[in-house]
Amino acid sequence: MAQAVARVASSDTLASNNARSRRIVDRIATGSLWTAAGSVVALLVIFIGYLFYKGASVISWHFLFGYPSSANAGGGIGPEIFNSFYILILTLVFTLPIAVCAGMYLQEYAGPGRFRDLVQFSAESLATVPSIVMGLFGLLIFVQMFHWHFTALGGALTLTLLNLPAMMRVTQEALAGVPGTYREASMSLGATRWQTVVKVILPSAIGPLITGVVLVSGRIFGETAALIYTAGASVSFGKSAYDFNPFHTAETLAVHLYSTHREALVPDADAIGNGSALVLLVMVLLFNVVARVVGRQLTIRFTGKAS
Amino acid sequence: MIQTPDATSLHDKMNVVDLDVFYGNFQAIKKGNLAVPDHRVMALIGPSGCGKSTFIRALNRMHDLTPGARVEGTITLDGTDIYAPDIDPVTVRHRIGMVFQRPNPFPKSIFENVVYGPKIHGEKNAKRLLEIAEKSLRAAALWDEVKDRLNRSALDLSGGQQQRLCIARVLAVEPEVILMDEPASALDPIATSKIEDLIGELKKKYTVIIVTHSMQQAARISDFTTFFLLGELIEVGTTSDIFTRPKDKRTEDYITGRYG
Repeated sequence: MAQAVARVASSDTLASNNARSRRIVDRIATGSLWTAAGSVVALLVIFIGYLFYKGASVISWHFLFGYPSSANAGGGIGPEIFNSFYILILTLVFTLPIAVCAGMYLQEYAGPGRFRDLVQFSAESLATVPSIVMGLFGLLIFVQMFHWHFTALGGALTLTLLNLPAMMRVTQEALAGVPGTYREASMSLGATRWQTVVKVILPSAIGPLITGVVLVSGRIFGETAALIYTAGASVSFGKSAYDFNPFHTAETLAVHLYSTHREALVPDADAIGNGSALVLLVMVLLFNVVARVVGRQLTIRFTGKAS
Repeated sequence: MIQTPDATSLHDKMNVVDLDVFYGNFQAIKKGNLAVPDHRVMALIGPSGCGKSTFIRALNRMHDLTPGARVEGTITLDGTDIYAPDIDPVTVRHRIGMVFQRPNPFPKSIFENVVYGPKIHGEKNAKRLLEIAEKSLRAAALWDEVKDRLNRSALDLSGGQQQRLCIARVLAVEPEVILMDEPASALDPIATSKIEDLIGELKKKYTVIIVTHSMQQAARISDFTTFFLLGELIEVGTTSDIFTRPKDKRTEDYITGRYG
């Protein structure tokens, strides 16, 4: 210790005379930044811990797969979980082809120009529309104008509008990450642009692309405001919990969480809310983990390198 | 070994007439004229930024891919204008292959890299593809080093091997002209000498146009040399003439190291 102090003192005389204060400022800065970064982790841990503490006791086979109750205690969330996945898949079926093609066009085909600017501007504007506004738009179009009432399809189409820009951006960024030398090499061998995209660019971009898709899926899974007035806040009673009819009312888990707190008549609404929140959070976290793992694996498979 | 071919008796494989290349408002090549003799190695030399790479990339229409680049003038391949409106740039690049400055294999297996060209041009027969792969890898002097690991990733190869793989990949589409843009500049001396030996072999079957920043390299491998300066083609001649009896003062200054 004494040695260290001595060395500091001597180096102070060698270096500029504010070396000591600069070092202290540097330490404080490092510490503050570390604390900021660490608090992100801490928040997540506290958040998950609290939800587990409140919700874990509610989780049971019956809760996860059972039918919700309208008046008595002991209702489950089976149909809600099913509906969340069902609407997610419907949404992806509509979103992916359009978003990936549009992103591909912008990144690989469109040169700089008016049309590209217009598409880019439209996507960015669309991305700023709040989800509740998109939900009300869905209400006007799908529920009222088309007379569908609350339906899984209406909800999925609303979510498609909501997530199209994000998915397009994900595609663009995944493609932009592919080195330009691959394009040059492919084109110089006499490949067409389409062959280059399909055989070289997409396989190289598949990791980030899948990661992006799964992350957007997590957002779709947790979306609430856009669905309350489009897919509805109740499940279709009297039918199977696993209702594949896209024209039936389809309350998702996130919407269920909202509606149990807001308007439920059941005496155990709080417990159901806590349980639903826990399930929802775990599902969304799973999406994130899966996104990382699958993205990495596919990148290795298609490009033979870890990134 | 500098050869002294008789320029007048050679057939011109490519002809460049009054070529201008612009990037936006900047003119990178000014009224370039060049005749490229068949089955010979033509070296393009000159200081950095003189337009050598720009010039060579005009020869297989790579500028089509660069937004803002504009090419004017005429470039013919066996008398056909490759910039004519009815010419598909894809067929041009099929006949005129290119090797780039940095080895750029695809993130695929060695085999898939070599047969990429034949596959996109419609070859589906697995046996035939294997034959093409072996023939091309042999021609690129890489076969013996990779024959046991054709299914391994091309990215595991060394830089020199990757560049020879890229040459094999070009040979697999059976082009007539091979453009090389400083193909050895990212390689060590041993890998460089392998590439240079290879170029000597290639001219038996192909016409080679190579950009190089090394005058020694140009002297070692080329039959003809073109000297570039500030976007202009200053002097064209047999390599021995350019290096021993340059006609233009600027060429002489550059050759003797008084310039650039």
